[in-house]
Amino acid sequence: MRSYSLIPRVLCALLLLSLAATTLPRLVARTREALTLLPLSYDSRRERQMGAWYASIQSLRRTLPKKEPVALVLGIRDTEAAIFANYYLYPIRARLYAGRNDYRNAAPDPTRPKTILAVTSEKTERTSYEVLRDRDLRAGHRVVAAPQLSESATSFVLPIAASLDGAAPETFVIEATLADLNDSWPRSALADGIGPFSNEVRMTFWPKGVSRTLRIAPGETLSYYDLVYQLYGVMESGWIQVESRLPLRTAFYFVNRGRADATRLPNVKPFATRIPQAPLHRDAKLFLLNPGDSIAVTTVGAETIPIMPHAIVTKPISAIPDVSGNVYAFVTTRELNGKTDFYWPEPRPNP
Amino acid sequence: MIGLFITLFLFPLVGWSVARRSWGEAFLFGAGLVGTILFFAGVVHLPLVAALALVLIGSIGVAVWTYRNHKRDIPHPTPHSPLPTIAMAIPLVVLALIAAVTPLNDFDGRAFWVLKAKGIAHERSIDGPFFQGATLDPRNQYPLLIPIDGAVILGLAHDLDDRHLRWLYVGFLAALALLVRERITNLVSPAAGAWCAALLVWIPQFAVATEGGALSAYNDIAVAAFAAGAFFELVGETLPRRDRDTAPAPYREIRFGLWLVFLILTKSEGLPFALVFLLIGAFVFRKRIVTPAILAAVAAVALLIWRARIPAGDEENFVRMLPTIPEKLANLRAALAAFPRHMIAFSSWGAFWVAVILAAVLAIRVDRRAATIAIAVIASMLAVYCGVYVATDWVVTDLIAVTANRLLMHLAAPALFLLALAAQWWTRTKSM
Repeated sequence: MRSYSLIPRVLCALLLLSLAATTLPRLVARTREALTLLPLSYDSRRERQMGAWYASIQSLRRTLPKKEPVALVLGIRDTEAAIFANYYLYPIRARLYAGRNDYRNAAPDPTRPKTILAVTSEKTERTSYEVLRDRDLRAGHRVVAAPQLSESATSFVLPIAASLDGAAPETFVIEATLADLNDSWPRSALADGIGPFSNEVRMTFWPKGVSRTLRIAPGETLSYYDLVYQLYGVMESGWIQVESRLPLRTAFYFVNRGRADATRLPNVKPFATRIPQAPLHRDAKLFLLNPGDSIAVTTVGAETIPIMPHAIVTKPISAIPDVSGNVYAFVTTRELNGKTDFYWPEPRPNP
Repeated sequence: MIGLFITLFLFPLVGWSVARRSWGEAFLFGAGLVGTILFFAGVVHLPLVAALALVLIGSIGVAVWTYRNHKRDIPHPTPHSPLPTIAMAIPLVVLALIAAVTPLNDFDGRAFWVLKAKGIAHERSIDGPFFQGATLDPRNQYPLLIPIDGAVILGLAHDLDDRHLRWLYVGFLAALALLVRERITNLVSPAAGAWCAALLVWIPQFAVATEGGALSAYNDIAVAAFAAGAFFELVGETLPRRDRDTAPAPYREIRFGLWLVFLILTKSEGLPFALVFLLIGAFVFRKRIVTPAILAAVAAVALLIWRARIPAGDEENFVRMLPTIPEKLANLRAALAAFPRHMIAFSSWGAFWVAVILAAVLAIRVDRRAATIAIAVIASMLAVYCGVYVATDWVVTDLIAVTANRLLMHLAAPALFLLALAAQWWTRTKSM
């Protein structure tokens, strides 16, 4: 400094050296990094810094509509990635949802974005709620570890089939097991040319009427953690007509994955309407299912209800009513603990 | 290059039009004024673009008029000291080159500050949908002065890419260094000013720290710069005049008040910092402290009005936490240890703070009043920050780890001033 003494100059130089000892190597490193990045385009430089994650953001920025908000649904440890996704996507507006449950619980919010981006620290991708749900369900465990198989049958109705979510943790699925047992193979099947290695099972999801044909090898068992979504790719409810070329043993469970409870569903032969009296809790509903090809005129108490072919109709009830008509009727009600109880009709006596 | 142009010319032009000073001070004054005026315009719902246009037209008009009529009043350039000047220039040039090439890569800059700049530039509003929850803005109520400056650059560039803002943050460091150089030159000696500026730009925490350094988009250098502006006004009021450059500055208390306004509108720490300055300033300016107090109060009220209109983010409300301090005294030990531990962290500060502490002892012997002011500012702010650490709801050690070094940055100017004063001790001893 402008003094006549050497001491402050020496001290100042020492202080400067103590600072430069840390700063200089880091400046050099940053300069080298800058020189490496220099030949690249600006976005490529970011890609070099942030890897494939930034490339995924860049691609989304090009394809997403600018004025449509997006939901950033993130995993437990991906908050930072979501914050940066929000930054790089702007002016596309983004809302943050800490996981799929957070998103589904926001369902009553009319401003909840419909476009979903799943964010992880590896990539950000456009997806759908159904895909995220399926990913979670697949990664989890089935509720029914040892399903109880039915008697062999070739044609029957599964009276309720659903893949639906309520507010978290309510997650309704059908867990299904379809088993083809070697010893049930009759010689006639071999003669028909469909065996000896496969059975064909046609499953039609009504009221949409969408069919899927499954091939089951002898001794093979097919398992589904979410039958409706896995077979039909939808999150809906309805009922399923099962038609098998050969006798088949099955187990279908109506499962609430969020509460880990399961109710075994019967394999139904139409029709049945006489439901025994039982206590109803909350959300009690009467289900009327018309598996036939013509309109079924049904009487519920004093009311007459026409049920369209293959339709399933629900009706809130406060007591189990008298039902008649060519339909299959059953009742559901939810206990206070959230468990769904089913009341099935007594089978009609054979004419 | 629009970012570079605005950083180099537009902000300094605005600053120069109201206070004919060096480039560094003009830049800081300009950035502060543009941010403040547009913030006030936003609070009263005036169109930001129109307000900016008025500011620019007014600045150009005043600058032209000033140049024509007061050519002789343009301040003398700071005396040239080759060695420290080169030492100061090297990191600044290198940092500017790195900033020009390397994309922004820090956390707070992208998560909070530049995101706000993008929001303001896109919506041309400070309380539009962006701030009303239409999009994720984690610290929604953070003050907006620097994001508004950023929005000016992005708006004029017609592009929301953060590459345009890289110059702004290096610009703040360069401006702070030049301010320190000029003011310490005037207040102490040219050599002291030149060397203090050189020391500043070599401090790792300022130059190369990932969090808070010139290559990040944190606002701590801006806070340090505005605090430096206020501090030098305060000290300038106490020192004897030697020549025209150190003559009593007219309206010094107004300039002091404006620096406080900038502090309040830059970061949440700015409000307690301004209060500390007002408290110490009351002993220096005496009755004239009313003017800066009014200016600071207006800024604080405007900030509160703006905050009342928008939902809170996940930021902590320290005022509400103050009554909880007695329950959190367990944090006290960690809080008290925080700053000494970080001050001796060689990787962030070298021997800087050790030198400052030793220098404080000598500085008191050189100029008791000025040194006391510097020590009072440092000690008061450290006490305030310790109080915040005690009151926090975060895990205190985590909060200290990510903030202590950045809070120390705010005190750079009084610390450098102590070093400069201490260097005079040998001169005086020798000349006796």
